[in-house]
Amino acid sequence: MNLLGLGKYPLDNRRLIGALFLTPALLYILLLVGFPFVLSIAFGFSDVTVGNTDLSYVGFRNFLNVWENDIFRQVFETTIRFTLLSQIFILIFANILAVIFTQDFTGKWFARFIFILPWATPVSLAMIGWLWMLDTKYSPIDYLLLQMGLLGRGGLLSDNRNLFWLAAPDLAQISVIFVQVWRMTPLATVILMAGLSSIPTDILDQAEVDGSRFMRTLLQIKLPLILPIMVIALLFSMITMFGDMTVVYVLTRGGPVDYTRVLGLYSFQVGIEGGNLAQGAAISLFAFPLLLAMAIFMLRTASRAEVR
Amino acid sequence: MKAIGKLAVVFLFMTLTIASSAQSAFPDGTAISLLQWRHFVPRHDEWFDGYAAEWGAVNNVAVQIDRVNFAELPATLAAELEAGAGHTIIELISSSAAFVEGLHDLSDINQRALDLYGEQLQHCRNGSYLPALGVYFSFAHGYFFNHGNYDIALWTQAGFPKGPQTYADLLAGGRAIYEVTGIPLGIGLSPEIDSEMALRELLWSFGGSIQDENENVTLDSAATIAAVSYMAQLQQQAMTAEVFGWTGASNNQALIAGEVSFILNPDSAYRSLQNVDEAGAANIGFTPGLAGPAGAIAGSFINSSVIPAYVSGDELRAAKQFILDLSADYSDATYHSELFNLPCFPAAVSELDTWLESDPFGSVPADKFAVLKPALEGLATLGYPGPSNPAIGQAYGEHIIPNMFAQVALGATNAEEAVAQAAQRVEEIFTRWREKGLIGGGQ
Repeated sequence: MNLLGLGKYPLDNRRLIGALFLTPALLYILLLVGFPFVLSIAFGFSDVTVGNTDLSYVGFRNFLNVWENDIFRQVFETTIRFTLLSQIFILIFANILAVIFTQDFTGKWFARFIFILPWATPVSLAMIGWLWMLDTKYSPIDYLLLQMGLLGRGGLLSDNRNLFWLAAPDLAQISVIFVQVWRMTPLATVILMAGLSSIPTDILDQAEVDGSRFMRTLLQIKLPLILPIMVIALLFSMITMFGDMTVVYVLTRGGPVDYTRVLGLYSFQVGIEGGNLAQGAAISLFAFPLLLAMAIFMLRTASRAEVR
Repeated sequence: MKAIGKLAVVFLFMTLTIASSAQSAFPDGTAISLLQWRHFVPRHDEWFDGYAAEWGAVNNVAVQIDRVNFAELPATLAAELEAGAGHTIIELISSSAAFVEGLHDLSDINQRALDLYGEQLQHCRNGSYLPALGVYFSFAHGYFFNHGNYDIALWTQAGFPKGPQTYADLLAGGRAIYEVTGIPLGIGLSPEIDSEMALRELLWSFGGSIQDENENVTLDSAATIAAVSYMAQLQQQAMTAEVFGWTGASNNQALIAGEVSFILNPDSAYRSLQNVDEAGAANIGFTPGLAGPAGAIAGSFINSSVIPAYVSGDELRAAKQFILDLSADYSDATYHSELFNLPCFPAAVSELDTWLESDPFGSVPADKFAVLKPALEGLATLGYPGPSNPAIGQAYGEHIIPNMFAQVALGATNAEEAVAQAAQRVEEIFTRWREKGLIGGGQ
């Protein structure tokens, strides 16, 4: 084999084999990410509707209209708030769980299996489950609270028999954030577990010999070493959540009022349900510069942490 | 000579029969597909499957029917138009005017239906005709309308044995019942179909509307502010926070559970109750649209069929024939939907009055539906008093009306601000569609 990676047989050719391995991923990105993205940019700069997809260029008009829309600004703020709050909880829980699941204990594999289920379950199916759990009238959670005397006349939490999880503004927002954390934590945990498992054992052995206890090893050795991978986990989670509309579409449809309306849902309501495809595309594209800046910042952070 | 004359008549009759059957039957291989919403009254879909199969056999057309939840129809239609392929006929409830440029103009079969079945109800026309282009973007064959469903025992105790007749009655009686029994009213204030219609009815009955009959925005008015203020009072005094999370199933759930004193819904909620609790159903009375300062205006959703522009040839001819024939057989549609689907061409269902006077599905008393008859004369649909144009469709898709009402009921803002904010957004939407030439007004 020479320096260019060219071998005697075609499959020894590193370039060829590399290109072959990358092709499916590239095709996937081009067809299922790249093409829709380019299409939505084209839509955003046109006056396309659901009934007429002829692309007539209108410049930045859709973006300006969207920016002047008070509802959009509120939706944008809600999306950022939900994403940031969720990430804080996801980061805390994922770290704790990753540490627990990398320890040895009886039933570890079963616990891991149960824990990964929220991520493995199709999101729409899982949300229907939560819709039942948080039902305004027949919520099993309310039933338990009622049996415990916390709800109903004289109840500590409310005089009503229900808390109205998806109808009261505060509870609806908490419910959406909780469900997002429930859904996204397993992925972040698995990524962090991979990071923890990749720490060379000799470093940990050395720390133990030097008398480092659990918390010190965790805070001063493990966490700094997995910081790059933690940033990647956070990035995955943030991007997924920022663009998600399934959770709120199934649970609240953005209500009560606009309290849980997020960018993805609003884009869908304006573009598809409202028929104004161009403005719907413009709404969805507002997330792009923010996500791009966030991704660049986080990847740089990860890269710097890795170099050190 | 007589025998020859008879033979000539028989021959002529046979020739005409063969000619007419050759005209109505379609070439081998003709196929149509329908996309419908799963009907709220299950019996309807069972009947429709059989009806479509029979129609297909008679007309030599293969008919396929697919069903989805009603909320998924606009997205499915949008996807099929974008792909340039999909179902032949799509049945919709909400306004499909935004799709008009991707649909066939159905003026021909609308005119044919007028010739065949007589006058079409005005609200059906408003839900299918786009004045700005002068086209019928859909064929409105039926409608279902919101009426009051009240708990007779509770409202009798509150001093309203015939149920609330006005919005003032609703507030007085609903509040009294809630204070004494803890049982609330159930009128949604949420981004969903039942809230959309119930709140529009309230708005119209108070004299407010999103647009006038010439498609000019009129939302920001004293009447709208009065309606929004009234609703806030009603929610705070006679309802729980549950109405902010109301869903398309909430009316049914609440009525069956006996946990509301009044809902606004078509008869599907009552029919569901009838199936599980006959005594409970007997305790439910109906009221037509409640009267406000501007009168009683009940709202209705239009059952309409659209044909995407990608449909052509024999498939298009067959689709139009299917739609026309369905209107001819609308008695069956009304009957098998248990009086849920009402006809846009009333002459096509001659039994309607009889059925309303004596419910064929065992209501107690049998004339329970008779009280609704006067309301059928002056119904409204999305866009009232104007047409259901694309701007009205977008305002519906963005849930501007329920959100306007809900934020005041929640105390997040006052009625004036909520109305001004909603009106501003509606104005933006109208401006945009007006620039596209798809709506009129702007004077």
